[in-house]
Amino acid sequence: MITTEVTLDELATLMKKAAGITVDPKELKQAADTPFASFGLDSLGLLGIVGELENRYSRPLPPDAERCKTPREFLDLVNNTLKAGA
Amino acid sequence: MSTQRPGRAAVTGIGVIAPNATRVDAYWKSLREGLGVLDRITREGCDHLPLRVAGEVRDFDAAALIEERFLVQTDRFSHFAMAAAALALDDAGLGSGDPADPYSIGVVTAAGSGGGEFGQRELQKLWGQGSKFVGPYQSIAWFYAASTGQISIRGGFKGPCGVVASDEAGGLDAVAHAARAVGRGTGAVVVGAAEAPLAPYSMVCQLGYPDLSTVEEPDRAYRPFTRAACGFVPAEGGAMLVVEDEAQARDRGTAVRAVVAGHAATFTGASRWEQSREGLARAIRGALDEAGCAPEEIDVVFADALGVPEADRAEALAIADALGAHGTRVPVTAPKTGIGRAYCGAPLLDIAAAVLAMEHGQVPPTPNVFDICHDLDLVMSRARPAELRTALVLSRGLMGSNAALVLRRGGDCAR
Repeated sequence: MITTEVTLDELATLMKKAAGITVDPKELKQAADTPFASFGLDSLGLLGIVGELENRYSRPLPPDAERCKTPREFLDLVNNTLKAGA
Repeated sequence: MSTQRPGRAAVTGIGVIAPNATRVDAYWKSLREGLGVLDRITREGCDHLPLRVAGEVRDFDAAALIEERFLVQTDRFSHFAMAAAALALDDAGLGSGDPADPYSIGVVTAAGSGGGEFGQRELQKLWGQGSKFVGPYQSIAWFYAASTGQISIRGGFKGPCGVVASDEAGGLDAVAHAARAVGRGTGAVVVGAAEAPLAPYSMVCQLGYPDLSTVEEPDRAYRPFTRAACGFVPAEGGAMLVVEDEAQARDRGTAVRAVVAGHAATFTGASRWEQSREGLARAIRGALDEAGCAPEEIDVVFADALGVPEADRAEALAIADALGAHGTRVPVTAPKTGIGRAYCGAPLLDIAAAVLAMEHGQVPPTPNVFDICHDLDLVMSRARPAELRTALVLSRGLMGSNAALVLRRGGDCAR
């Protein structure tokens, strides 16, 4: 059974892929409660990440996903959704 | 010093991304030498199309010039515009750090087609993989307004912004729009146009233009004003300027490279080239009126030079109609025959060429054109030395716009 947990490392990779933002995963871990905006990620960038995850796991994420303000808030929502559907 | 009216619009910065150069000094050198860089199209996915020759910008590394977070959400046409804007701002001495007063700087661009390559990629995902695979930046990247928006965001500029969505002549209209914003009190406007029409979808869109040259030999494909005229060759790239309040520029100690003195535009309908004679003549007269400029004061004309026989005839006659006997004596040039027509970017490249020509006292030649069949003094083969105080730049668009812009030399200022 494959894991359905999205980690901060993976989020850093997605931020790079979807929005062109380079962020050190370690820094992202330390600043998991810092608003996405301070990393330079705008709302369209987060929407792109939501789309990537929805395609990867072949399931929709709740509308609130793209409104999350911080990495931790976002990953909590994503992982709870994935777990609930597992 | 000449009399100064408040709000005169000075050109204080120039940035060029063109098929023949990506730096202003190299651009001028190439123009002065009359080098032709038209060549076979090498862009991926284009080799099966019946358009073979164009002016490609090959010496351009977007990743070295633009931050990745802007690259992923923009098309090549915006990459050109952002890079050229940064060069222009540097040239004007406004390039470093956040602007002291963000509301004092605006952005205006002209665009004829938007981001076709980005749009094609996302539409291929839509029909190939499904709507879930279309990236959200499709919503902004392919629009005409993308370059204005991204330049303003990147530079932190919050002054009046605008987009002229038009045909080629829109490039001149954008500069006039910027000059008017300066006249109303905005300190400076980053203005210009750059286009990226050399991608499969974009090229297919152009194949319907009867004015497009499909000749396969690069040095024979674009020869306006000759009996061999067979249409125009498209190009990518363009130029951005900083157009600034003249008094502010002098207060900052920045060189005034030229003054935007007058502009007018008319519309005579798509592909109605015979009618463009009257439209272009009226635009020239309007621009001269606004500049307070007599026809005899025009020292050089940068022609539209479409390369379609009836359009060339209309332009030669329009110059004669508007400038009278002076129209057959004034040096006329069309350096775009060496680099192609970059749609809205073309007249911006001509403005850059005109400013450089005035600064260097030389009219650059018209590459690949040797024997003309109109009553014009077209500068051919080599650059011609001349005292150039006033330049007239002309542009017409495939959709029927005609525009004229009068530039005055910058005058005495430390540089």
